[in-house]
Amino acid sequence: MEPSSNQQTVAVKINEDYCSRCSICSSLCPYDAIKKDPETGKMLLEIAKCQVCAICYSACPAKAIDIIYYDIKSLTKYLERAKQEYQSDSLVIMCKGCAPDFGGIEKLFGISKFVPLSVPCVGRIPVDVLLKAIATMGIKGIYILACEEDYCRFERGSSITGRRIMALNILLEQFGYGKEIIKLQRCSLKVKAARDKCISCGNCAFYCPYDAAKLESGAAEFDLNLCRGCGLCVALCPAMALELENWEGERISASISRLSLEMTKPKILVFRCQWSVFPSLDEKLNSDVRVIDLPCAARVDPLHILEAFQNGIDGILIAACPEEDCKSKTGSKESQRLITALRKTLSQIGLEERLHFCSVAPRYPETFYAELQQFKERIETSYSKKARQ
Amino acid sequence: MIITAQKPLDEILDFLSPYSNILIAGCDGCTQPPRGLREAKTLSQLIELGGRLRGKNFNLEVITMPKQCDSYLALTTLKPQTEDVEAILSLGCGLGVQTIAQVLPDLLVFPAQNTLFIGMEAREEGTFEERCAACGDCILALTGGICPVTRCAKGLLNGPCGGSSNGKCEVDPEKDCAWDLIIKRLEKLGRLSVLEEIRPPRNFWQVARPGRVKQL
Repeated sequence: MEPSSNQQTVAVKINEDYCSRCSICSSLCPYDAIKKDPETGKMLLEIAKCQVCAICYSACPAKAIDIIYYDIKSLTKYLERAKQEYQSDSLVIMCKGCAPDFGGIEKLFGISKFVPLSVPCVGRIPVDVLLKAIATMGIKGIYILACEEDYCRFERGSSITGRRIMALNILLEQFGYGKEIIKLQRCSLKVKAARDKCISCGNCAFYCPYDAAKLESGAAEFDLNLCRGCGLCVALCPAMALELENWEGERISASISRLSLEMTKPKILVFRCQWSVFPSLDEKLNSDVRVIDLPCAARVDPLHILEAFQNGIDGILIAACPEEDCKSKTGSKESQRLITALRKTLSQIGLEERLHFCSVAPRYPETFYAELQQFKERIETSYSKKARQ
Repeated sequence: MIITAQKPLDEILDFLSPYSNILIAGCDGCTQPPRGLREAKTLSQLIELGGRLRGKNFNLEVITMPKQCDSYLALTTLKPQTEDVEAILSLGCGLGVQTIAQVLPDLLVFPAQNTLFIGMEAREEGTFEERCAACGDCILALTGGICPVTRCAKGLLNGPCGGSSNGKCEVDPEKDCAWDLIIKRLEKLGRLSVLEEIRPPRNFWQVARPGRVKQL
């Protein structure tokens, strides 16, 4: 059951003292979560519908929206620190939906040294932050990597960013900062299919939430214009003929072995949908916890879970969005099904308690850390019991 | 498709425990759910984890092939991989296991699956349903494409029996009465009269076991 909003800290609030009731927020919200009360004229936020895309936050002209994640203050603080650390006057802002890391930036923008900032949707960045970076922090060029407009996980985040940057560039040019000081590129990750490995089982065609897969002339064919890169087909392909660009199985395997080596016992590994938890920009994890962020819970591969156990991980937590919040339609639901089946198999060798699936949403920022703490305590208890034996 | 269910891991670990070098062979053929490379790797990891808990370390290799029930494919795919292998664990159906046993007579082969039936995959319901008994004398032309041999609990050819109630079977009220389905379907197609024709008794000779057909 989802916790009710009155007991929980919520991630987004409207500050009535500042609100001018202009309705920009409600006109931009992709989820109909903000409405004007017809009687009082007040703007009301229905937190249960909110997906915390923060388009309202970045658009509010009165600064009347309070948000826990990536607010102007924490973004500025991060940029000041990162500017020192990375010693560069180029800033790269990337949506997490585009890539798991900054490896492809050099090829895309032709820069090798930059201040990196990765956020769930670039639509949440207020223009103030960009202006501040250029005007007071000595940033000379801003490079923004956003998802392709139609593939934005928050529907409008990418297209709104495009319009904002166009306007901002015109303004900055008039102020003498040069032409196109902010550069925008778009990319979306897609499935990669090895036709020669396909066994024509039809799983991808049946399970793809976007009808991107078809079984044709003896092998699965993918319409990449329809593929949204959730990775569900990859986890369900019995022939292991599919990969998700930038989230290849081997890449995740390498992360598992690297992280398991740097952890202290009892080791807890979290496979986390990157839309279910928004970590703070300075997220610090204890040495016994490590996280692998994935493009959707659907990309959680049972083989990776078993591999982690083999690498000496003591407990594995899967953090997914609640079914109704899933950014890839059926991803959360199918992931839960796969994990339940795997737990059943693991129960035959007594390992089922070491694997836990939880649904968490960024609108309630405390739920993930509460789930993690609870799971940790469970694993620690069984670990110390085992050690005593 | 041949529907199979994985054996309990304990049972698999029990028969593998005297051996160390095991080749796990997947089958990309008609077994459902597909028992290809992913299943073979998954099982390999489970055996390793389960073995470790029993204090046993296995040396496991994984391979898959288009279909295990083809003597030529089974031999040519597996033979080159069998050096130092003590036993093969097959993810194929009963046919796969037996084909391997036949083409590699000096090697031990164990089944990782229980073979259940010939069935269809009802994707929307997420179930596998038995639909064909391989009886050798198909009467689907007379029964509107619904098989009473498998779907009627009593295998009646002249049903329904007195236990049919509200379209459900008296043996298992969860299941549809096959003859109720047949009659409703024939009625809809305007072909109910085919059931009134007198037919000779069923040819049971066709199901003499073991079956063998010579290819032309």
